[in-house]
Amino acid sequence: MLRVVKTAMVVPVSLAFILAVSLLPLLLQMDGDGGPLRLQWSQSFAALSDYFSGLGSGDSFRFVSGKYEYSFWDRIGVSFQVSLFYIFFGSLIGMTLGLLIGVYFALSRVEWLKRIVELFGALPDFVLILLLQFSVVFIASKTGLVVFQVASLSTDDPAIALPLFSAALIPANYMIRNVAVQMRLTLSEDYISFAKARGLGKMRIVFYHALPNVLPFFKADLHKLLGILMGNMFILEYLYNLNGVGMFLFSDAIGFGGYQYALVVNGLMTLIVLYAIVYGLIRLYLWGWEKVISR
Amino acid sequence: MNKNLTIGLAIIVLMTLGALLGGYLSPHDLQEQLKIEYIVDDQGKGTVIAPPAPPGQRYPFGTDKYGYDLLTKLLDGAKYTLFLSFGIGFARVFIGGLIGMLLGYFRERQPEKQPADSWKALNGIPIFLITWLLLIGISINSALSPPKLSLLLAFVLTAVGIPSVLSTIKDKTIVLRERPYVIASESLGADHWTIVRSHLFPFLKESFLILIVQEIVLVLTLFGQLAIFNLFVGGTTMYMDPPEYHSRTNEWAGLIGQARGFLYTKQWILFIPLAAYVLLIMGFQLISNGLQQRYNRIYAKPPHL
Repeated sequence: MLRVVKTAMVVPVSLAFILAVSLLPLLLQMDGDGGPLRLQWSQSFAALSDYFSGLGSGDSFRFVSGKYEYSFWDRIGVSFQVSLFYIFFGSLIGMTLGLLIGVYFALSRVEWLKRIVELFGALPDFVLILLLQFSVVFIASKTGLVVFQVASLSTDDPAIALPLFSAALIPANYMIRNVAVQMRLTLSEDYISFAKARGLGKMRIVFYHALPNVLPFFKADLHKLLGILMGNMFILEYLYNLNGVGMFLFSDAIGFGGYQYALVVNGLMTLIVLYAIVYGLIRLYLWGWEKVISR
Repeated sequence: MNKNLTIGLAIIVLMTLGALLGGYLSPHDLQEQLKIEYIVDDQGKGTVIAPPAPPGQRYPFGTDKYGYDLLTKLLDGAKYTLFLSFGIGFARVFIGGLIGMLLGYFRERQPEKQPADSWKALNGIPIFLITWLLLIGISINSALSPPKLSLLLAFVLTAVGIPSVLSTIKDKTIVLRERPYVIASESLGADHWTIVRSHLFPFLKESFLILIVQEIVLVLTLFGQLAIFNLFVGGTTMYMDPPEYHSRTNEWAGLIGQARGFLYTKQWILFIPLAAYVLLIMGFQLISNGLQQRYNRIYAKPPHL
């Protein structure tokens, strides 16, 4: 098959995947009260055909939130911006710090610090966020000083510092761990001992000989990191009450009128677009690093 | 002595004992509820005792909002948290590892075609979201029993976790397969089974062990993430007016998820299950670190700087 055709195939298959995944809550339901688990095909097909017929009339881009009906297009812009802001700036800050700390960890012998970072790094994102919120509440109750706002109470008064810090924490932790491991592997290569024998300085060897061989690993593994970040985004938005895409999806997916198929499909598509944009931006950022360190 | 491994194992063994003997160790009955009481002491001074009780002598970890003992609840839910996560982690590595090893071994000798990069955009949909969509229709106020629902969740979580294990093991096997000793053995006429058993598996053994522990941590993370969105292991009971979600099994992530509102006051209701959960994850992480250390000491080259 032609390469172009193959690449183009991605779009329809991804769409089909999203359409299918969003059907799952309708498809898998209990049969009446106490009945056996059965696949509800007719109801699922109805939702699917409603979605397609609604595309033309615009019905598929309306959803119910509480008692009112809204247009998808009116609401998604703000949510998209919020999500993009946290996921992009979070990963930018996190990756930069993580890279530098990772390099430091690969070289230094402060074992106790490494061990602590490693242990805390193993904790799930939501635990870290809850612990952060706990510590802010704790400090506030002891000293009366509210260091950060724990969560957004309304859209006019959003909490920014703590969510951004949390958004940076996950990529930083990922980078620290992996840079340290890859760096150690790279530093055991023969060309490093050769560079050392030539009398080059430590900093020079690390940044111009070792790091250029560590970065490609991250380019290849970027999808993995981004996958983690997207999952993290949901937790972040939910726990901090941020009006992002994840929150948008969850808060109204199951409304009073039941499951909103069209909303979930549209939301998931937004996620894919968000993913693609963030991926591009981070690739650009890594490309910048490569330009700097391999003159 | 490997400190990480010892401490990690000690934590997990203690918790497993707690999970096994939970019913005998718990200080209160699961159904026993602290009711509102008005006690008058000798001086005629009256005090009101009302749930939730903070951690104290009678309730070492305090009670929840409705007056049920938290320690009892934790001990009751431990079996779900521990044994399910362990089972799922093991199943993921067993199935994924087996298929991965065979795929890596029987791979054709030509360079493999990489799938197009753009496929990976589907990564944008997190795994826990897919699991959530799959199970939310049947988990809330379900007619299925908690063990059945747990089993269903275990099945789903095993299935979504296999691909990553599979590809890790496959990559490792491909590297091992090109080693001189494998080729030597092959040219001496060893059959496939012998090569897999005596040349590939012994080198993958450590990776399998570490992978199991890491997968357990990942499964526990997923339990927690699902619980944040009110999908609890073993099913969710939802009450209307005001909407409240309760775990049917007292599984630890569920206890955290249902207590999420107690951030500002009566924090022990959230903090105690969270602490237990963190300790469990740390225990597994320590085991994983300890194993990694052992493994590095045997195989890794020292860095030059």
